[in-house]
Amino acid sequence: MIAHSLHKAGRDHKHVGRFRSTNLDIRCPGIAFSDMAVLHAQDIVKDFGGMRALDRVSLTVQKGDFFGFFGPNGAGKTTLIRVLTGQLAPTSGAIDVLGVDAVKEPLRVKELVGIVPEVESPPTYLTAHEYLYFVGKVRNLDRLEDRIDKWLTFFDLGEKKATICKDMSKGMRQKLMLASAFIHEPALLFLDEPFINLDPIYQRTLREYLEEYISKGGTVFMASHILEIAQRLCNRLSIVNLGKVVAQGDMGELLKGGDTLEKLFMRSVGIGTGRE
Amino acid sequence: MLKEEFRTHSSYSGKGRFLTFPLFVFVLASLSGLTIDKMTATVPLSQLGTFAHLSSFLYGLSVGAFGLMGREYLERRYGRSNYLVAMPYLLPISFRTTFLGIYLRDAVFYVVLMVLPATLGLVAVAPFMGFSLVSIGLLFVSVLLAFMLGMSLSFVASVVYIRNVRAFVGLTAVIAALFVGQGAFGLPKLEFIVPSLGFQANVRPFGHDPQIALLFAGASLVLSVGLAVAAYFLVEVRISISSQSYPQALPRYHSRVAWLSGLNRILVAKELVDLRRSGTVAKMFFSFVLPLLFLSFTVWFVNYGLAIPIGFNSVFYAAMVGFVAVLMYSWLNNIDLAEYYSLLPVTVPQLIKVRMLVFLVLTSGVSVFFVVAIALLNGETRLLWLALVVMAVTSVYIVTMTAYLTGLKTNSFLFDTSVLAKFSVMSFLPDVCLTILSFSLSADRVFAFVGIALVLGVLSVSTLILYRGIEAKWGPSSF
Repeated sequence: MIAHSLHKAGRDHKHVGRFRSTNLDIRCPGIAFSDMAVLHAQDIVKDFGGMRALDRVSLTVQKGDFFGFFGPNGAGKTTLIRVLTGQLAPTSGAIDVLGVDAVKEPLRVKELVGIVPEVESPPTYLTAHEYLYFVGKVRNLDRLEDRIDKWLTFFDLGEKKATICKDMSKGMRQKLMLASAFIHEPALLFLDEPFINLDPIYQRTLREYLEEYISKGGTVFMASHILEIAQRLCNRLSIVNLGKVVAQGDMGELLKGGDTLEKLFMRSVGIGTGRE
Repeated sequence: MLKEEFRTHSSYSGKGRFLTFPLFVFVLASLSGLTIDKMTATVPLSQLGTFAHLSSFLYGLSVGAFGLMGREYLERRYGRSNYLVAMPYLLPISFRTTFLGIYLRDAVFYVVLMVLPATLGLVAVAPFMGFSLVSIGLLFVSVLLAFMLGMSLSFVASVVYIRNVRAFVGLTAVIAALFVGQGAFGLPKLEFIVPSLGFQANVRPFGHDPQIALLFAGASLVLSVGLAVAAYFLVEVRISISSQSYPQALPRYHSRVAWLSGLNRILVAKELVDLRRSGTVAKMFFSFVLPLLFLSFTVWFVNYGLAIPIGFNSVFYAAMVGFVAVLMYSWLNNIDLAEYYSLLPVTVPQLIKVRMLVFLVLTSGVSVFFVVAIALLNGETRLLWLALVVMAVTSVYIVTMTAYLTGLKTNSFLFDTSVLAKFSVMSFLPDVCLTILSFSLSADRVFAFVGIALVLGVLSVSTLILYRGIEAKWGPSSF
């Protein structure tokens, strides 16, 4: 049963932060690691007033994982991403991201990772080029103009590079948020609904880029409602409902017997698919 | 819309704290009522009434500028804040109707929040001070008329600004010319510019001519409604996607602020680009230059127009400039949502300090200009050096104190009673001290100099402490 996998990963990883040196194409400033955990969260609790948004969530993500995080609306996915990336302090619990204590050093975590938020919200009055320039300067990146050109070209934003974000479509803004998260080539990406607002062409482009990114040693932690794409991309997953992890483990193991991710999801959150 | 406004304000400080705001106003009005005898010993009751009246008019002016804000509400509908003003996108209702809704909402909301509690505060002390309830009622009506007039004028001016900046400048020039003409030649009479003042001057306790009072009240009401109706028909919503291209200004601004280093350099450059492209200059004009002009006019009017022997001088004025300047910091926090900062290695205190820096860069020139101008107008160049020091210290103190107390959400936190109480005490005390000391410059110069130096010293130390405290207070908070 699914319950078999609950919290398993969280219990098994005791060596977080002890990374071995390796050569990576992607950026891992000051940190070298191999096949160990790049993210470990233990018993994360997040309360908003009287409401418990996350209830003792534990999970571990290994280097090279494409980790999917799923749940119904309001289950706590975005809150967990914000907590893991140092945007929100947890009420209790421990978080280790790329060897950094995310509770004590949230700023350092944000230096190391790339984040794409659920709501695309680039600065209203900057152009696409300016926003990437801004992000590059904040992150103190070298070869900035080259990087900007690369990502504007990749996301076909060249024609919009002089358009301010206020005047862009949602899809354009989403592409810009993706570019701003990728520009420093981080070792770990947190993506909250990255495919939303993208047209089918760029859904495929992004999917292919992320597959290549993983193959080069990167790690992705992704929350998404688009289960078909997630099933193709993710090798490990966690399903959360009402702030609690209700299923967790390897995609292959959890989908044994020809299950789809959608069926697993529905079962995990206590809803029949109606197609069984 | 009323519920939306209430929830917006109470979302930061909590419902309970927000609801104590009118209580705060009530207590303040009661205290003013209890000390009225002391106040009228130095300033005549009629002048106090005029100041209260014009303050209400100015408050209405500041509330009514939502012609500008409405556009931002619309543009931010994809952000975290969605407002009912954007309803016409989804429901069969016109933008005009929703803007009229905002006008009515703000009229009700701010009258209930400020004007009514202030009136009740006076009613509460009436038995002890012998105030007539009829007089208080008439004062309420007159202040209400002034507030509505200010709101309507501001509403129409902001709507005109959206349609045509030149027409807006023309309208502002006409209004300014009326006030200048009044100050310089006594024409037209102040009551004919702000008719509600004519009502107040002709009812108890300031006068007793019911017929004239009714005429002025009627004129004020007609003018308010007329302006609001004009604004209703002039409302124009320009939120269509623009195909305008912008030159890459950020790298240029980044080069221009080369005197800064590290993270501050790019953050300041970005704030300057935002300021330029968002049109915040017009809002700065509304919230900084206009109060300064009004203050200049008041100082000049009291000294020469009314010939009241109050020792206003450029040092007093400099302190006031410092305190008025805080409005600018508030605007800097309203240019854009700051959520994207949470994705970057930037902390809330870093951004607060950058905005304080931008505030100083923006206001210094204007403040110096006004202080120098008033010193020249008053023939007080001898005191100019002191006035400039007072202005600089109070400006830095007030923005640091405001930043410490309210962080990046100044407008919202100033409706939190506990924050407002601290803000009031921390700004009122030095303000009063500097006012008294500046008045005593003509009587006992040594005493005044020593006193002012002492106050400035305390303010400087407080500034340092508060500045250091920003890190601890706002470090853990999110954008």
